[in-house]
Amino acid sequence: MLSIHARQVLAKAVLPILILLAVGLVLLGLVRRPAVDGVRLMATDFMAPAYHGLVWPQERAKVWLTDLRGATDLAKENARLREENRALRHWYDVAVALAAENGRLKKSLHWIPETVPQYVTGRVTRDDGGPYSRAVLLDVGSGHDVRIGDVALDAAGLLGRVTEVGPHTVRVLMINDDASRIPVTLATSHGDAIMAGDDTASPRLIFYPQDHHPVEGERVETRGQSTMPAGLPVGTVHYSAPNRPVVVPDADLDRLDIVRVFDYGDDDSQAPDAPGRVRVKKLPQNPMTGPLPFSWLPNFPNMPGRGEQ
Amino acid sequence: MVAENSTPHLHSAVEPKQTFRRALDMAARAAMPSLFIMFSAILLSAPFGIPGQAQLQFGIAMCTVWFWAYSRPRSMPALAVFLCGLVVEIFSFGPPGTVLLSLLVIYGVSHHWRYGLSRLGFIAGWLIFSILAVLASFFQWALVCLHAVALLSPVPGLFQAALTIGIYPSLTALFVWGRRTFANPDQA
Repeated sequence: MLSIHARQVLAKAVLPILILLAVGLVLLGLVRRPAVDGVRLMATDFMAPAYHGLVWPQERAKVWLTDLRGATDLAKENARLREENRALRHWYDVAVALAAENGRLKKSLHWIPETVPQYVTGRVTRDDGGPYSRAVLLDVGSGHDVRIGDVALDAAGLLGRVTEVGPHTVRVLMINDDASRIPVTLATSHGDAIMAGDDTASPRLIFYPQDHHPVEGERVETRGQSTMPAGLPVGTVHYSAPNRPVVVPDADLDRLDIVRVFDYGDDDSQAPDAPGRVRVKKLPQNPMTGPLPFSWLPNFPNMPGRGEQ
Repeated sequence: MVAENSTPHLHSAVEPKQTFRRALDMAARAAMPSLFIMFSAILLSAPFGIPGQAQLQFGIAMCTVWFWAYSRPRSMPALAVFLCGLVVEIFSFGPPGTVLLSLLVIYGVSHHWRYGLSRLGFIAGWLIFSILAVLASFFQWALVCLHAVALLSPVPGLFQAALTIGIYPSLTALFVWGRRTFANPDQA
C-alpha cells in the first residue's frame, strides 16, 4: 500500500499528466489528422445502426407531419385545382376553336400538308475504319428504309447526315467532321450561313452575310435545302475569337447512344428545270471501257487493263 | 468540505448495511454526470440535422464538468473527465484534442477553486464560467485556423461560446436537483 504522502503526490500529478496527454492529442491532430479521423470514422461506423434507430422516429414524425399538413391543406388544394381546371377548360375551348379556324384557313388557302417524317432509331457503334474522322456507325437492323442524305438527330438537336447505307448499318457523317457542310439559318439575325465542321467540338460558321454578322447566343437552325428540312435545331452561336463565329451544338456529340434517322421524303422537292438551263452531261459510269486512243499504234494495247504483247 | 457533505442528516450513527446492490447503486449515482456527458455526446452525434448539434456537445460537456468539479468532486474525478473528453472527441469532428484539453483546464480551475466557487453566488460563477467558455472556444478557433493555415470566420466559435453560456443556467438547475436526488450516492 502507498503512504498517504505518496497518494497525495499521485493525486496532484494526475491532472498535469492528463493535460500533457491532451496536448499530445492536439499535436497528433495537427501532425497526423487522418489517423484521428480514422478512429472517429470507425466509431461512427460502429454506431451506424444505433444512429439509424435514433433518427427513425424523427423521420416517421416528419412523414406524419407532411401527411397531416397535406390532409389539412386538402380543401384549399381542392379549390385551387377546381379553379385551375376551369381555366384549363377555357384554354381547351380556345385551342379547339383555334385549331378549327386554322384548318379552315388552310383549306381556303389550298395548303399542302407537310409530310410526316418516317424515322428509325438505332444504337451508335463507333466507326474506326471509315473515311471520315468524325463519323459513327448506326445499327438500324435489317429491313430499314434509310437513304443517303437522311438526317440524324439525337434528343437535343442535329447530329449529322447519312453518307453510306449498308444492309444493317448506316454511316452518319457528324456535323463537326472536316467534310461536313450544312446550310443553316440564324434565328435572330435572319442570315443564312454554312456550318463547316473543322474536327473540333464546335463547327465554324462561314459564308454568312457581311452586313448581318451572327449574334452571340442566337439559335442556329437548318435551312430548308435539298434533302435537309428547315427548322431543325442545331445549336447556338458563340464567338470563340473576334470574327470567328462557331456553333455550339445542342446535340451531345461526344456521348452518343441512341440516335434517330429521319427520312423527310424529299423525292418530290426537286426544283423544276429552268428554260435555257444547260444540263451537265453525266460522265459514263466506267470511262475506261471503250477502246483507247492510239490503239492503231504498234505495241499499244487497244483495251484498258493488261494489254496483249 | 462544503459541498460534498450536503446531506448531513444521513451521516448518523446508523449507516445502512453495505451490500453489493447498494455499492452498485452508489457507483451508478456517482457515475451519473460522466454518463450524462457520454450519452449526450453520442446522442448528439446522430444525424438529426438540428442546428448547433456539435456546439451543444461541447457546451453540455463543459457545463457538466464545471458544475460537478466544484459541487461534488467525488462524482467527477480527473480520470472521468479525461474519459468523457475522449468520448466527446471520438464522436465530434472538430480539431482533435481541443475539447479534451478545454475540459481538463476547466476541471482544473473549477476543482482548484471549489471552496471559493461554492461560496460565490450563481451569477458570479456563471460569469467566470462564461469567460472560460469564450477562452476555450477561442482556443478551438485558433487551432482550426492553424490547421487550415488561413484566418477563418470566428462566428462559429462565438456561437459555440454563446450556446455554452446560454445552456448553463438550465443545466445547473437540473444538476442541483440531481445532486440532491438521483445523482446523490448518499441516498443509495
